[in-house]
Amino acid sequence: MTNPLSDAEARVALHEVERGRERVIDQIGMPAWYWWGLAGCWIALGVLNDVANAWVIAVATVAFGAVHSAVSQRLLAGRQRSGGVRVRADVVGRRAPLVVFGFLVALAGVTVAAAFAVYADGAEHPATIASVFVAALILLGGPRVMAAIRQRARRAEPR
Amino acid sequence: MRGGAGFDELIHPATRLSIVALLAAADWADFAFIRDELTLSDSALSKQLSTLEEAGYVVIDRPLSDRRRRVRARLTPLGRKRFTAHVAALRGIIESSDATLV
Repeated sequence: MTNPLSDAEARVALHEVERGRERVIDQIGMPAWYWWGLAGCWIALGVLNDVANAWVIAVATVAFGAVHSAVSQRLLAGRQRSGGVRVRADVVGRRAPLVVFGFLVALAGVTVAAAFAVYADGAEHPATIASVFVAALILLGGPRVMAAIRQRARRAEPR
Repeated sequence: MRGGAGFDELIHPATRLSIVALLAAADWADFAFIRDELTLSDSALSKQLSTLEEAGYVVIDRPLSDRRRRVRARLTPLGRKRFTAHVAALRGIIESSDATLV
């Protein structure tokens, strides 16, 4: 059977196929407002920890968890940065939601550790200072985490 | 069919291949997203999507969101299967050419 295309034509077509996949991979990410909102809420919780009573802190923490859970589920771990396209889960990679979740857990750990360190140093508002530090990490690190997920998706073999 | 198993004449033309390749990596894509990414005119994209829809390769949804009527396209299982076979056929052509050279 003769080939329907020359080798060169097939390569051009495959290049276009790969380009289509990359166009979608470029859309993997969280919207900027998510990182800014998360950083803002982190600072607000830090401030509350320093100034409010235990009930207010508990209610605010539960409310934050509920709102964040609803928002992050809708964002589908980077699959829908814009309203224009939803990236397939197998293109983003099965581990992507775990990576984002792990990043958030690590941030919580860093917040607690930083607050203890600041408290031990004798500062007056340890949770506020720690949360401002972690908010900066969110704004700097969040987009980098998503860039790493995009990079990994580019390297993955298409299914 | 022009030749190799899996080669799909309907998908292969450059514009349709670009559209299907983009949709293959997505659950769905907005009409405007596809148009802008591939720098197509509204009419050119409509025409290509209609062809793919008639063949059963693509489904066009019109969800109502933000009080705006949106148009979304997604590959059907048939479209995905034919695209996968088409890509395999393209790879086969390259591999057979490489084998001939060796």
